[in-house]
Amino acid sequence: MSRRPPRGEYIETDTGNKVARKATLVGTQNIMLGGKTVIQPDVMIRGDLARTIPPAQSAGSSGPANNTAVAIGRYCFLSKGCVLRPPGRMYKGVFTFMPLRLGDHVFVGPGTVVQAAQIGNHVHIGGKVVIGEFAIIKDYVKVLDGSVVPPNMVIPSFSIVAGQPARIIGEIPEGGIEAFELRDLYKTVGNNVQPTAS
Amino acid sequence: MFGNNRLPAFHPGLTQSRIRDTTTGNRLWFPGVRSPPSESSPSDSDPPNDQLPLPITPEDLYDTPMAPFNPYTYIRCPCSELNPYAKRTPDVTAQGLSRAAQDDDDHTFDPRAARSNYSLYPLEYLSFCEDCHQIRCPRCVAEEIVCYYCPNCLFEVPSSNIRSEGNRCTRSCFQCPICIGPLAVNHVETPPDPNQLLSPDHAASSHSGSYLLSCSYCNWSSTEIGIKFDKPNSIHMQLAKLRNGGETRLTAKERKERRKEQGGGGGGSNNGQGEEDLDTLLDMETQFANLKSFYQNQLSDANGTGKAGGDASAALGNLGFDAPASLSRIMSLYTGSSSLHDKKSKSRPGTMREALAPSEGLQLASLDETSAITALQDFESTTGLDAYSSTASTTQLQSQTPYLGASPLHGLTRFTSSLRPIPYLLRTKRSKRCPQCRHIISKPESKVTTTRFRIRLIAGNYIPTITIKQLIIPGLTPPPMPNLPPDTIAPLQPAQFVLTFKNPIFESVRVTLATPATTPGRFPSKVTILCPQFEIDSNTDVWEEALKDNNTSSASTSTSQQNLSSSTGPEGGPGRKRAGTLRPGTAGGASLAGEELGPEVGKVWEKGRNWTSIVIEVIPASLVQTAKRDGKGPIKEDEDVLEIPMFVRIEWEAEAPEDEIMPGLSGAKGGNKDGGKEKRELAYWCVLGLGGLRGRCKRGFVCGRS
Repeated sequence: MSRRPPRGEYIETDTGNKVARKATLVGTQNIMLGGKTVIQPDVMIRGDLARTIPPAQSAGSSGPANNTAVAIGRYCFLSKGCVLRPPGRMYKGVFTFMPLRLGDHVFVGPGTVVQAAQIGNHVHIGGKVVIGEFAIIKDYVKVLDGSVVPPNMVIPSFSIVAGQPARIIGEIPEGGIEAFELRDLYKTVGNNVQPTAS
Repeated sequence: MFGNNRLPAFHPGLTQSRIRDTTTGNRLWFPGVRSPPSESSPSDSDPPNDQLPLPITPEDLYDTPMAPFNPYTYIRCPCSELNPYAKRTPDVTAQGLSRAAQDDDDHTFDPRAARSNYSLYPLEYLSFCEDCHQIRCPRCVAEEIVCYYCPNCLFEVPSSNIRSEGNRCTRSCFQCPICIGPLAVNHVETPPDPNQLLSPDHAASSHSGSYLLSCSYCNWSSTEIGIKFDKPNSIHMQLAKLRNGGETRLTAKERKERRKEQGGGGGGSNNGQGEEDLDTLLDMETQFANLKSFYQNQLSDANGTGKAGGDASAALGNLGFDAPASLSRIMSLYTGSSSLHDKKSKSRPGTMREALAPSEGLQLASLDETSAITALQDFESTTGLDAYSSTASTTQLQSQTPYLGASPLHGLTRFTSSLRPIPYLLRTKRSKRCPQCRHIISKPESKVTTTRFRIRLIAGNYIPTITIKQLIIPGLTPPPMPNLPPDTIAPLQPAQFVLTFKNPIFESVRVTLATPATTPGRFPSKVTILCPQFEIDSNTDVWEEALKDNNTSSASTSTSQQNLSSSTGPEGGPGRKRAGTLRPGTAGGASLAGEELGPEVGKVWEKGRNWTSIVIEVIPASLVQTAKRDGKGPIKEDEDVLEIPMFVRIEWEAEAPEDEIMPGLSGAKGGNKDGGKEKRELAYWCVLGLGGLRGRCKRGFVCGRS
């Protein structure tokens, strides 16, 4: 089970992001990476689906760039073949996309499609999951493999979620918080990884 | 399978999916469809054991799609012992290992015993009480609710509201009655002009009856039960007033007001609504209110206070059910003509009568099912689908909240077409207390949105974690049997596993392990721990360790200078040494050969900064042969998993607390104080799940094939 890719497969940025050369990033100017984020091959991030209506002035701009379509925090891990796609809807009679925000330490499993509005910190999303449009996932949530999270669903913190449609099936125990840390996983990927006892 | 029943929280089954037939636009029901195997339900789809015996082919045996087996360690909480909080003799010594077991049943712990299911937990589910020095599990801790909140809108609900309004969200948070997905409030018509949104009277006037609840997962909408809303907010209140079909309904408050008006005019509640005929369908709330007022009137009449037919409402207020007069009244009802009854009740026999009219709360049972049958027939004739698909499933009915506007008992809905939206059940944040000393073990911040804990004493910070890996040495380990599926252990061949113990505390820990020679149960496997006693170094500060490494490995560990540059531990740290290389005669360049010699009895396998690995050797039982010989019948659940009960005892020296010494508490020992140090120990059973014993038979039979 070595995750070690052949040499030069990843582009490593100054902030420690590791982006696979085979990943498809569309509209890169609208994609914000927080640093130390791994993007594996065949990942697609749709930065081109930026909002067409400027955000309300009263809300104030939270990010440095107004037109961010996908914002990703630190130590996120986007597994092979997953798709991040900003959600879109009718707003005041006009169709517009809304930004998709990922917090820190978010794991996205292989083959998963994420169209959420917001994903908090320390979230584990399994493989072959569909996160519907405008879903909101708070911190310390685990979404089990194969779940379909319906659009607009709000998942509170410390939930374990599974099923089609997804429902809350359990709680993260107090001792299970540390397992969401992705620092160690970050170290296992890259161009020249220290060999570990697999 | 694989002991999933031990994880109390994981039950992701019973998903009911609903799909629309694209040609007819009708809903198709798949009542039995379950979610695909997730990590917690790897083989839910296995047929039950009592299916017809079919001819079994080798493909049948091994082609079940199984999740890869992950070795696991479950730890037993001491609360399942017969007398968990009794004072244990503090002199548990090395030989006294069995005595600790004697506290229980005089038996070794059987992980497959029926009771074990409730005491075994993964480490992360366990807490630790610092005062009792003992492991605490979710079953034995006492929980206290810190706050209630809605999982959808994340608003906190004060506990006073819980008492008055129930445990569901009273805002606009609803779940789909069909698929339990979240419901969104949407406009019925096209979205309004944005300019109009700003006008103040927009919500009240211009869009009356123009909102609905809709599910974006299964496309259900509240118009299917004929319900639309005037306002986009406070849906809960609006829904309580609406029957299916959109007909409005009186709430309790409104009815009370109406009755007051009528009661004032009529002079008695009985003739207030008496003209209603017997077929009138009362909803549950009305029926209860009518019954209540009827019996209260009866009681007041019986006691003579309002007998003359005076102001009934005044009489109603005078007498509560707990009044002594009403008690004697009830007593005389039940004792009948026995000696207990007094003259008063004797003089007025039969003053209590039963309700006779709907206004008194009488509701005739409608046992006529023709309407339901015709509805079924209509469904079949119009859609061409099985009528069963139009009926609500048990899970759907269970998730329905009792609706006070429903007609009572006999009229309960059985069709999906009349299910109502489900308000979200509130969730709680809870703190945990030790069951014995009542100290708080875990306390989250009371704010809903914060995820921090004020107190969080988890077992993972106190007892070593155990990780399991099969040991495969090229040349030494026999190659896996060709017809065995992956992740199973070949029967009757010795297999070796590396157990890595990682120490979370800042003192070095001495570990003593014990297992029974054979695993309990019908298929005993032989078990040998090659190194039952060893030490784990302390979990020093990572920075300290890093600084040590910079000082050119100046004795980072106490015993060895011999760091193998080629191998790094699970930590990736350099302080690791392998026992094989330390043996006499295999120094230096022969280290590689030494590794290939395999594990040795009495020696630690590997050692690192705060971890130690040892080897456990297992000769797994063969399910096939044993079954042949004894004819034991089908394999029961979890019997095809190699589970080894192991008794772990850890000892360490801790800084003695200055003010409190707790002698004799289970697991902790107050004696042997010297120089501010105190000997501590903790002992517990755990279960190692090493792997599948053999390819799992798809039909649950023991097969005589190999």
